[in-house]
Amino acid sequence: MDIIFNKTNLFFMLDGLKLTLLIAIVTIILSTIIGVILALIRNYCKGILAPLAKFVTCYVELFRCTPNILWILVIRFFVKGSPVPIAVFACTLFTSAVMTEIIRGGLNSIPNGQFEGAASQGFTFVQTLFYIILPQTFKNIIPALLSQVITIIKDTSFFRVIEVAEFTRNSLGVIGAKCTETYQIMTLFGIVAATYFIICFFLSCMVRGYHKRVTI
Amino acid sequence: MKNLFTLKRWAALWAARADFASGLWTTLRVSFLGLCFALFLGIVFGLLSTSKNKTARGLARTYVEFFQNTPLYIQTFFFYNGLPYFGVILSPFIIGILAIGLYHGAYIAEVIRTGILGIPNGQKEAARSQGFTYLQSMYYVILPQTLKIILPPLANQALNLVKNTSVLAMIAGGDLMYHSDSWATLYDYHAQGYIAAGLLYFILCFPLAKLAAYMEKRAKIIPGSIQVQNAEAAEV
Amino acid sequence: MKKSSKVFLSILLILSIVLTAGCSSKTSAGSASALENIKKAGVLKVGVKSDVPKFSMVDTATNEYSGFEDDLAYEIAAVIFDCTSTEAKEKKMVEFQGVTAKTRGPLLENGEIDLVIATFTITEERKESYNFSTPYFTDAIGLLVKKNNNYTSITDLNGEAIGVAQSSTTKDSIDAYIAENNMEITVTYSEYTSYPEIKAALDSGRVKAFSVDGAILAGYIDDTTQLLPEKFSPQDYGIASNLNNTDLAELVNTSIINLRESGKLNEMLTSWGLESYK
Repeated sequence: MDIIFNKTNLFFMLDGLKLTLLIAIVTIILSTIIGVILALIRNYCKGILAPLAKFVTCYVELFRCTPNILWILVIRFFVKGSPVPIAVFACTLFTSAVMTEIIRGGLNSIPNGQFEGAASQGFTFVQTLFYIILPQTFKNIIPALLSQVITIIKDTSFFRVIEVAEFTRNSLGVIGAKCTETYQIMTLFGIVAATYFIICFFLSCMVRGYHKRVTI
Repeated sequence: MKNLFTLKRWAALWAARADFASGLWTTLRVSFLGLCFALFLGIVFGLLSTSKNKTARGLARTYVEFFQNTPLYIQTFFFYNGLPYFGVILSPFIIGILAIGLYHGAYIAEVIRTGILGIPNGQKEAARSQGFTYLQSMYYVILPQTLKIILPPLANQALNLVKNTSVLAMIAGGDLMYHSDSWATLYDYHAQGYIAAGLLYFILCFPLAKLAAYMEKRAKIIPGSIQVQNAEAAEV
Repeated sequence: MKKSSKVFLSILLILSIVLTAGCSSKTSAGSASALENIKKAGVLKVGVKSDVPKFSMVDTATNEYSGFEDDLAYEIAAVIFDCTSTEAKEKKMVEFQGVTAKTRGPLLENGEIDLVIATFTITEERKESYNFSTPYFTDAIGLLVKKNNNYTSITDLNGEAIGVAQSSTTKDSIDAYIAENNMEITVTYSEYTSYPEIKAALDSGRVKAFSVDGAILAGYIDDTTQLLPEKFSPQDYGIASNLNNTDLAELVNTSIINLRESGKLNEMLTSWGLESYK
């Protein structure tokens, strides 16, 4: 019992949880911003800027077709930096690809009439995007965005391979190094699973609640 | 990085191709069997979640929520290092299929549930009135109609599934990621190892991504209706 | 046509990302004089283990590193910054970064850390990629097993799986030992990224033995585990630095030699309760 409710161990795991949430939040913010930019490029860059759109397509296809663990390892070993910024960079890199697709889906669901209506009112293209299209897009894609947030929080557990002191690594480190009895291992493990579950379930309930509110 | 073009390292990569091939083969098998298992679970729990029976719905909801809200790595780790304490020792290969099947089964169950809910109630009632049992009406009437709606997200899930087989690398599972990682760190030939892994995964997943895109495009075409482009042209 | 051009562009993209990432790290490692850069920065970045008792452990409560190898880092810093090692410790002139067998090499190569003092065994192959100092410790490989399996020697492990760390010399050493002694046993290996993972696998029965240098194993012995009597393949630990930083490597080498000759090295070892395997 003393191992499980040992203050040091619990706080060590809590530090890991703090770092997990920090990485997740920063990643979400950064990848949403990058996702918006890339989605806009992909959808609306024509003519001279067409290669940019092609680049975005290749970027998205590349990250859709390769595992996240691979990128975590590649970035850790080839880009100089301390563990946490590296983790955020890697996570942002492959999450931006997914975000781009989600936001593109949202953009594509906006009827063309919106653009025409805005143009008839004298909005420039950029103004149209900023005041009319993007707000509607975000309202449409909130469920998909929240689902992606849940996925990001769960995917931080993969940073175990590069020894980032996040929740999974710290907890499993305690289990591996300090626990000897089966019940200790199972209890601590249960705590880890329960923590992830509570955080993600809370977010998933928000998605369901939003769905219920929006659909009549 | 100065070693990116060192011939010696690429030669070593070629010499180790048997390892990579075995890893690729394992990944293929785990993906295929995992997908079958996930589809099976998805259909079962998708059906359960739309049944009239409250217990069935509760069971399905518990399964889906539990496996969707805990990380795949934690689930895999439990099967690998936790089950043995209860006397259940499975090979990493089986654990891979089990964990991936359970995890993606939850997502597929949700997809199928959305598909079934999208079919108007009248279909189910009409089928029942014609004497079909619940299962028969599902099999002959409802599910075939859901196919068009659910195929795109299903293809997406299949894509994610193949990528997620890389979690086997963290339990010494002998898949492509494990072997390439192991080889790359053995002599620090990182560039070669990871590029090889990336290319192989890309070759594996790209067809699936294309399939998903194709299905999405097809899902937007409603059979028998006038195509949108023709309609616009007709207006002008 | 579209499909294949996409594939081609994607491959080009992978290569370009890898190359550009490489370019940024290439300029950082090996530019000017590494020693001067360190002196200018005022801080020595050292990669150390975080889970080896007595060598280098992180106190989970305070996040401080303590151990024989950490003290060694302070001694080197003292030589570089021309002060005493206690001063180096107080003024935090050493920045520790936790590494594993897997990450220590690449981090050194891309310049993220200046030195590796992390139970790094000197081998001929590794000498091609890094500069090693003269050995500061010698250790032998041991095998940790569960008491209730009643193993008495390595021959009992016939047909079983042994857990080792990725990118360590253990696998080859065990194979060599088996071959040398003409033992008719076959073993398989499972590689994991960190020691707690191997211990967890040992506890759950996934692997029947946990094999790594004896000093590291000592930290994982508990009521349920014991060491097999075999100790083999003496491993020399050295301090590693980037191949390009020859001046740093020389300074480190001279420091170790001085520490050994003045008896300080032995003092440090005894104060941590360590004994070099000879």
